[in-house]
Amino acid sequence: MQDTLAMVDDPEYEEEEPSFSDPEDFEDDIEDEELLEDILREKPQEADGIDSVVVVDNVPQVGPERLEKLKNVIHKIFSKFGKITTEFYPEADGMTKGYIFLEYAAPTQAVEAVKNADGYKLDKQHTFRVNLFTDFDKYMNISDEWEAPEKQPFKDFGNMRHWIEDSDCRDQYSVIYEAGERTAIFSNDAKDPILAEERARWTETYVRWSPKGTYLATFHQRGIALWGGEKFKQIQRFSHQGVSLIDFSPCERYVVTFSPLMDTKEDPQAIIIWDILTGQKKRGFHCESSAHWPIFKWSHDGKFFARMTTDTLSIYETPSMGLLDKKSLKINGIKDFSWSPGDNIIAFWVPEDKDIPARVTLMQLPSRQEIRVRNLFNVVDCKLHWQRNGDYLCVKVDRTPKGTQGVVTNFEIFRMREKQVPVDVVEMKESIIAFAWEPNGSKFAVLHGESPRINASFYHVKNNGKIELIKMFDKQQANSIFWSPQGQFMVLAGLRSMNGALAFVDTSDCTMMNIAEHYMASDVEWDPTGRYVVTSVSWWSHKVDNAYWLWTFQGRLLQKNNKDRFCQLLWRPRPPTLLSSDQIKMIKKDLKKYSKIFEQKDRLSQSKASKELVDKRRAMMEEYRQYREAAQQLYHEQKSLRLELRGGVDTDELDSNVDDWEEETIEFFINEEIIPLGDL
Amino acid sequence: MKPILLQGHERSITQIKYNREGDLLFSVAKDTVANVWYSVNGERLGTYNGHTGAVWCVDCDWDTKNVLTGSADNSCRLWDCETGKQLALLNTNSAVRTCGFDFSGNIIMFSTDKQMGYQCFLNFFDLRDPQQMEDNNPYLSVPCSECKITSAVWGPLGEFVIAGHENGEINQFSAKSGEILKKAKEHTRQINDIQSSVDLTMVITASKDNTSKLFDSNSLDHIKTFRTDRPVNSAAISPIMDHVVMGGGQEAMDVTTTSTRIGKFEARFFHAAYEEEFGRVKGHFGPINCVAFHPDGKSYSSGGEDGYVRIHYFDPQYFDFELEA
Repeated sequence: MQDTLAMVDDPEYEEEEPSFSDPEDFEDDIEDEELLEDILREKPQEADGIDSVVVVDNVPQVGPERLEKLKNVIHKIFSKFGKITTEFYPEADGMTKGYIFLEYAAPTQAVEAVKNADGYKLDKQHTFRVNLFTDFDKYMNISDEWEAPEKQPFKDFGNMRHWIEDSDCRDQYSVIYEAGERTAIFSNDAKDPILAEERARWTETYVRWSPKGTYLATFHQRGIALWGGEKFKQIQRFSHQGVSLIDFSPCERYVVTFSPLMDTKEDPQAIIIWDILTGQKKRGFHCESSAHWPIFKWSHDGKFFARMTTDTLSIYETPSMGLLDKKSLKINGIKDFSWSPGDNIIAFWVPEDKDIPARVTLMQLPSRQEIRVRNLFNVVDCKLHWQRNGDYLCVKVDRTPKGTQGVVTNFEIFRMREKQVPVDVVEMKESIIAFAWEPNGSKFAVLHGESPRINASFYHVKNNGKIELIKMFDKQQANSIFWSPQGQFMVLAGLRSMNGALAFVDTSDCTMMNIAEHYMASDVEWDPTGRYVVTSVSWWSHKVDNAYWLWTFQGRLLQKNNKDRFCQLLWRPRPPTLLSSDQIKMIKKDLKKYSKIFEQKDRLSQSKASKELVDKRRAMMEEYRQYREAAQQLYHEQKSLRLELRGGVDTDELDSNVDDWEEETIEFFINEEIIPLGDL
Repeated sequence: MKPILLQGHERSITQIKYNREGDLLFSVAKDTVANVWYSVNGERLGTYNGHTGAVWCVDCDWDTKNVLTGSADNSCRLWDCETGKQLALLNTNSAVRTCGFDFSGNIIMFSTDKQMGYQCFLNFFDLRDPQQMEDNNPYLSVPCSECKITSAVWGPLGEFVIAGHENGEINQFSAKSGEILKKAKEHTRQINDIQSSVDLTMVITASKDNTSKLFDSNSLDHIKTFRTDRPVNSAAISPIMDHVVMGGGQEAMDVTTTSTRIGKFEARFFHAAYEEEFGRVKGHFGPINCVAFHPDGKSYSSGGEDGYVRIHYFDPQYFDFELEA
């Protein structure tokens, strides 16, 4: 900088400044569009005006004296959607014609107006019909020739429920190993897993099963893919760049995908809801963070899904994907909500607000009726735990009672099946580590206390209004509870930092069936029938000894399956049973008859397996013997060479040279005895 | 079985070897000491003193006259077995990793490490020519440029040496010309140990790739594979049963992340024909570095990272045990 300034001031600087103007005949070849793209975007275009115009029909026909009032009313209603720049009330014979034109500042506002004001009931005789001006053109220009849409060829994926028809009722599970490079599907057999399918790089991160087990979803950079049927063909593909999380609707009609990458103001793309069978994108939503996935929670029948944003609960209905009653619920301070797994009821809680205590509310959908409200005092935090059938709701309330510093925990148990939903309270004296309902029963298990004195308590919610503590086991090494999906049995596990301690419990009489250990286990997964448990050490949490072990529900170890860099095992869910409850009763009655047949079948397959093993061993031994014979033959042929190398000494057998042996006596230390000699 | 514990080393055992008749057991360790013991009662006979660095390998000739040791002090030494006197000292440019007498006991071979700019060499000396030893001039010196030799044994008639390399390869080097007669690449990682069967017709390799494999000595045909979940440091073939024993252990850096119970290092017994594991012997407090069968097959020994050598005499049930077939 210094130099150039000096140069300019320097009287001796006489060099002419270079000319910066274009040569005479220069024609620039840069298009305006390229150079001024951003400015040109805002150039007013002729078409613009039309896109922002809406036509409102069924407007009251009024004379000039009421025109002003009408305009005010219209203005009030329609300026909600944007800035009205022009309005036109065509007249005939001194009265308004009954339809008007409104122009907004931007086409998006016009679209909003159509969306929200169409169907607006002004009064008994007048319900507005609102349309985009451009729509008229579109509909007028529809050709008279109707072309039938092309028939899509029927993609037959085969029997999507093929795996359920396995004659030995084997459940399937997916295994990801080799650090994600290979994914395999196995059929579970007590002896050894049977490989059903295995592919390299099937997924880029992990996999998910759909809730009824029909589809396997795999993740890729460009979106997700769904696979199913007997051969796991690709059923559907959904393009969502950078997808990281997904969720299925319980009915398996829809899948929700989330990607932190794609989002623009005009076109929300962070969360997309897809129709699985058609592959169509149904709706997109914004999303700030995926901290509490799934952001959208589905009702059990898939009819509704809802999400919570600041002070708002938005409930949408399917298949329209629109807001229920076209508006969200304003609930100040709403902290958390969840659907009942059995009915269309939402439970949510709001914390204390000045002098209004905190409360938990149960709301029925779609009526929005509050069927139960429960006030809670001095609340620090709440967690909602539904029993799997929706029979009970447990609200874990952490409170700081007045005058104390510490936090105590209560369980507020809502009995959903009883009139007016009575609530019972269970007070817990220690801090809670884990809580879990028995899936289809009325018991729950709690892990409480501080390491190393962790206790496991089992409670029964009885019909007579009492909640009874059945049993407490103390000094447990556990930090997680895993109930069997059929209830009654469960595993208390000390995962990760507790080194994989396992306790198998039968809660019908609260006995410990077995105590075992799977060192450094990171996950426990029950199969959908509740017969088997898999404990696994995932490579994602521990780099050595990656394997999954198969146990019976009673805690008997059946298999240890080591897999190089094993990552994840997921059981394939089963669809709900097609049997009626009467049919199930019949089967339970005749169980003895069935168990005889099954036992015979098991015995046959066992002996078949051992026969297979025995045959295999025989073959291997035969092969080995043959090899050894040939080698021995060669060895004998070489005997003379060996004698030569060792100067005539035959060393082929240990005792071939007895003459050369020396005898040596060796002492063995047997016993030491100290004998006092007494005074000499 | 109640093992006999030999406490004679202060640092981890690197190799143990029985003499041909099995009455003596030689052990060498990182503490520069080479010991010889009576295998029947564990009584120590004596020590071969002289090395100034970790002793990596030891061998005894068929007549139990001479003992050969190789060390990280860049020397290979020949000793009189009975008196313990050092008979010859062969200096090398880098550490001696593996050594051995051939079938006749007249020719010795040893390999040197790839270190400090020096390549890996496989050297051959004829003991019948004292000049070679005096001048430290091997009659044959084979360079191994690609991949260093980590373990080696002589073939059945002293015609070739079977060597295992750092990359899992196995090569047969002619003892006359030094050329590679046969190759085999079955392992994927370093060969930690090679041992022959008592009749020298087969060799078993122990590798870092968690497996051990059985090969035919002459053809280098791959016969069997034994799989484990830990790196295998050493393996041996039973002289009288269709069994093999393997010893190994965790990588040192992973030891702290497994339960001490699981980390208890075990010698594993496999059925040689069925490739199935049928037994384990606990007892060492660290990875097992070397295993060896007594030539009569009635006992076996193991030397560990903990510095102990354990001699185990089999119970009668061991000999009666059979897998259903």
